[in-house]
Amino acid sequence: MSSQWKNLQQRSFLECNARIRAIGLVDPGTFTELAGPRHRFSSPHLPLLGEAVEFDDGIVTGVGLLGRKPVFVASQEGRFIGGAVGEVHGAKLVNIVRMARQAYDQMLQANPDLPEAKRPAVVISFETGGVRLHEANAGLLAHAELMDQFQDCKGKVPLIALIGSRVGCFGGMGFAAVAMDVIIMSQFGRLGLTGPEVIEEELGKDEFDASDRALVYRTTGGRHKYIMGDCNYLVSDSVAAFREALAQVLTKPYAEIAAMGCIGSLEKVESQLKLVDLCVATAPKDARDVWKSAGNETPDELTDMPLDEFLETVKRLTARC
Amino acid sequence: MEDLIGQGRAAIDLIVDAESFREGEVGALTISDEEFGASAVIGTATLNGEVCTVIASDAMTANPKFPVVYAGIIGLEEGYKMALAVYHSIKADQDLPLAEKRPLLLIVDTPGNGAGKQEEIFGMNKATGAYQMALAEARKAGHPIVAIVVGRAISGGFLCHGLQADHVLSLGPKFNTMIHVMPISSISRITKLNIEWLQELAENNPVFAAGPDYFYKLGGVEEIISSIESMRERVVNHVAQVRALKIAGREEELGPWGRGALSVERGSRMARNKVIQTMNDEFAQVAGQYLV
Repeated sequence: MSSQWKNLQQRSFLECNARIRAIGLVDPGTFTELAGPRHRFSSPHLPLLGEAVEFDDGIVTGVGLLGRKPVFVASQEGRFIGGAVGEVHGAKLVNIVRMARQAYDQMLQANPDLPEAKRPAVVISFETGGVRLHEANAGLLAHAELMDQFQDCKGKVPLIALIGSRVGCFGGMGFAAVAMDVIIMSQFGRLGLTGPEVIEEELGKDEFDASDRALVYRTTGGRHKYIMGDCNYLVSDSVAAFREALAQVLTKPYAEIAAMGCIGSLEKVESQLKLVDLCVATAPKDARDVWKSAGNETPDELTDMPLDEFLETVKRLTARC
Repeated sequence: MEDLIGQGRAAIDLIVDAESFREGEVGALTISDEEFGASAVIGTATLNGEVCTVIASDAMTANPKFPVVYAGIIGLEEGYKMALAVYHSIKADQDLPLAEKRPLLLIVDTPGNGAGKQEEIFGMNKATGAYQMALAEARKAGHPIVAIVVGRAISGGFLCHGLQADHVLSLGPKFNTMIHVMPISSISRITKLNIEWLQELAENNPVFAAGPDYFYKLGGVEEIISSIESMRERVVNHVAQVRALKIAGREEELGPWGRGALSVERGSRMARNKVIQTMNDEFAQVAGQYLV
C-alpha cells in the first residue's frame, strides 16, 4: 500500500482518475471510500435514456487523514459524462460536505478546546462541466444544496478546492469552487462559468474562437486565475504538488484560511466591484490586457515561461486572495 | 394580463404594498448611479406593512457597459449589486430578534448569467456565486427569503436567483413560466436522443423535463400559484410560514436541504435519500478511526 501510494505521488494530476487523486491526497492507507462502487449506486435515470452507468456515478467520496486531521474528500471523474452532476453524484458531493460539518460539531461538543490540528476539512477535486443534462433538474437542485452546505461550514470547517484535471471546473460547479475558502490549481486547471463553446455561440467566432486552445487557457486557465487572484496557489502538475499545497494550507489557523476566499462578505464584494470597475474602465479585448493592467509589461511572455519563473516574476491583480 | 414575462418591475408592484417600493435603497446602501447593474432591480418596500428587501431583474433595461447583459440576464455588476442588497439587509437587522428580521423577496424572471469573454476573464462565477452565498448567509441569519418565479427561471439564473430561498413559489405553466436547465429540444440536440421519445419519457420522469410542475414534483418548488391576483397573498403567507419555522428552530425544513426532504414526500429523488443514508451509516462504522 505504502509503496503504491508513493508511486502515485509523482504521477501527473491531470492524468489521474478520481479515485487515485482521492487516495493520493491523504496520508497513505487512511482513505475510506463512502457509498463506493460496491454499493452500486448508479444513476436511476441514465438507463431510461439508454445511457451507460457507473457504480460510483462519476464521483469518489470518502474520508482520510492528514496527520490527525479528518479530511472529507470528493473527487470527480471527468471520463464519465464529463464529471457532470446528476442526482446520485450530487447527493454524494453534498453529503460529504455535510458530514464534515457534522463531524466538527460532534468533535467540538466532545472537546470545546478542539485543537486546529484536529479540525475537520473538506477537499473537492473538481473535474466537471456542472449539471448533467440527462437528469438536469435533479443536478441543478444538488448545486443549490452544495452552496447551502458550504455556508453551514463557514466559521467551522475549511473548504479547499483543487482544479487540475482534464475537464476543468465549469457551469454551476464554477460557483461552488469560488465559494470555497482556498483554490489550488495547476496551470492545466481551468475555472469558469460559461464554457468556451457557449461563449462562441453567444459572441461569434471572431470574438471568441472556442477551438483556440491558447485563448481558452488565457481566459480560464490556472495562470490567468492566479493573476486575477481567484486562485490562491498555482502548483506543478503532480499529485504530490497538490497534496503538499493542501497540507500546507491546512496547517494554518482556521481564521487565516477563511480570510483567503474571494467572496463571502460585504467587504469582499466591495473589493470585487473594484475589479469590475477596472473591467469597465479598460474594456479588455483579451486576458493579456488585464495582465498588463496588473503591471506585467510583457504579458505575452507569461504564457510559456517555466512555472517557477512565472511565479517569481508575475504581478498579480490582487494580492488579497 | 396574460403573463408576466419580462415584467419584473410590474411584478414588484403587484406583490408589495401599493407605492411602497423605494428603488436602490437597502438599509445603509443607496445606489444613485442608474447605470450600475441596470438589469437588476434592488430596493426596499413594505409587504403587509413590514419592511422587506426586494430583488428582481429588469428585462427591459440592458446594461450599457456589458453587451451580453440584456433581457434580464444577470451580469457581473448585477450579481454583485444583488449581493450588496442582501448584505445590507443582514447588516440593517443584525441586532433584531428573529421575529423582526426583514424578509427578502426574490422576483424571478431571468434567462441566466452573462456569457461573455470579459465575464469569464473577470469571473462571472464570483459575482453570482457571491450572491448565492449572501442569500444562504441571510437565510441562516434568520431572514425569511421567498422567491417567486413569474417568468423565466433558467439554469444558472435560477440557481443564483431563486434556489437559495427558504421557499420557492412559481406561477403555473399557463402563465408561460419556464423553469429548466435546457429545453428538451436542446437536450435532444446535445445528447443526440430523439425529441419525441424524450418528451414521452418526461411525462413520467421529472428529472430532465422543462416546467414548474416538474420542479414541483422534485421538491424544487414549494407551491404552484394559480393566479396573478393571488401572488401577494401567497407570498405573505409563505413569509409567515418560513418565519414560524425559523422561530421554532426548524431551519432544516427550509431552503435547499428542506426541498430535498420535500422531494421524498412527493415521491421523487429517492436515490438521493438512499445515498445520503448509506454514507452516514457507513461512516458511523469507521468514525472512531477519524474523529479522535
